[in-house]
Amino acid sequence: MRSKLLILFFSLYLLHAAVPAAAHHAFAAEFDANKPLILRGTVTEMEWINPHAWLHIDVKGTDGKVINWAIEAGAPNGLLRRGFNKNSLPVGTEVVVEGWQAKDGSYRANGSNITFPDGKKLFLGSSGTGAPFDPEKK
Amino acid sequence: MRDRTRLMLAAVAIVSLLIPGSLRAGQSPGAKPAAPKPTTVATKTWSAPKTPWGDPDLQGTWTGDDTWGVPFERPTQFGDRRYLTEDELADRENRVKQTQERMLSEANTAPSPARAQAEAVAAGKELPPAPAGAFGRGVDAAPVPGHWGEFARRASKQTSQVVDPPNGRIPNLTPEAQQKLAAKNQLRRGRIETWENWSHYDRCITRGVAGSTIPVIYGNGLEIVQSPGYVAIRYEMVHDHRIIPLSSSPHVGSNLRSYMGDSVGHWEGNTLVVETTNFIGDKLAIGANGDLGAPYSDALRLVERFTRTAPNAIDYQVTVNDPKTYTAPWTIAFPITQEPGYELFEYACHEGNHSIANALSATRAEKAAEEAAKKK
Repeated sequence: MRSKLLILFFSLYLLHAAVPAAAHHAFAAEFDANKPLILRGTVTEMEWINPHAWLHIDVKGTDGKVINWAIEAGAPNGLLRRGFNKNSLPVGTEVVVEGWQAKDGSYRANGSNITFPDGKKLFLGSSGTGAPFDPEKK
Repeated sequence: MRDRTRLMLAAVAIVSLLIPGSLRAGQSPGAKPAAPKPTTVATKTWSAPKTPWGDPDLQGTWTGDDTWGVPFERPTQFGDRRYLTEDELADRENRVKQTQERMLSEANTAPSPARAQAEAVAAGKELPPAPAGAFGRGVDAAPVPGHWGEFARRASKQTSQVVDPPNGRIPNLTPEAQQKLAAKNQLRRGRIETWENWSHYDRCITRGVAGSTIPVIYGNGLEIVQSPGYVAIRYEMVHDHRIIPLSSSPHVGSNLRSYMGDSVGHWEGNTLVVETTNFIGDKLAIGANGDLGAPYSDALRLVERFTRTAPNAIDYQVTVNDPKTYTAPWTIAFPITQEPGYELFEYACHEGNHSIANALSATRAEKAAEEAAKKK
């Protein structure tokens, strides 16, 4: 069973790996693929900066201690084109981040997936925003 | 034309680039611009628009997004075939549609290796290995998170971006260029210990002329503005611009060199032909982000062709001539399109480029851990 799951996992991965990408810098230089994490926290700040936006969230550990994590997100201009704006993530919003921690062990991570707790995606190109994939604009 | 008049016209072109399109069009900033018509093939009734002074009109904001995902060099199974068959095109249309649906679906269904790994660890199982090869170029090669990328609106018919030689493959490198490529790869693939490990793109400096146009995961916009005697182009990522005089005057002296080179243009019918020389050699490459492939030399001569083929489509071509690097000239071609609501945004990059400090910090942490392990 486990091997089947692994095969499924790698098949899914390969499907996506077939899409060549070229983001602004190499993941491996900063983040550790052996330090996966799932963080649930509340937004304290969204930094709209190039080449990548950074989302800051307060995460409460099992010991009750709150740690502020910095999450690397996509390019701000790309986010804007997907219909995301400065009002999309107000301070206090709860989010779930799946990603990998920084190699130096600091509280920074690459945000591979960022969603609301109910599983709905962030960064949707919603209607009426003028985003290029806005169904109303097609 | 007298030099002073030229300077004034160039100044007009530069100032126009700094004014948002809606203001140039005489609209209030809040007014919605009229939506351009969808891309269509040229019809018998359509003729290329002209500027008030009679030049072909290429003005507007354009993007190469639709070529995003088309292989740069042609996969060998296609041979000399430049376009997909109907069946192959149907497959690609399907993939483009699936990508759009996946990206725009409200539910987060994207597979997440990070979640799979984290859940295994939480369940006390062995850490699943990171997908092989995925993290060498990291987010470049790992599954693209849904919130990171822009993507094609429609499927390209091309089998590759390189269209000449007829096999769509970059000609052989000269022995000198092979050595430069090997040295560059060593720097890029090595540990980040110095700024030299980073490309000019990573460092927010420039992507060069071809690198600024070839589509990548995001930021594929460029704006063209014309005035009598000049064409100006600005690129969103990494905020480069070019002022191209339309004249038969020679290039500047060979001692004057820059990353974007010295461009001179002229019209051949409705096609804008731009020849660019005077590049700084051995720094940038032709491919994606100005970093894919062998570094070009100071002998590089690019010939670009911009031909408007539909109300919102330009055929873009660039021929690469660099005998110190390539054993033959070669040509890249793809369409750029105008899209409803698409505009360029500011791209100040260096100030917020935390990646460099983070990567240096990562290397120091790794080295410290290795030293500690040795002492044990």
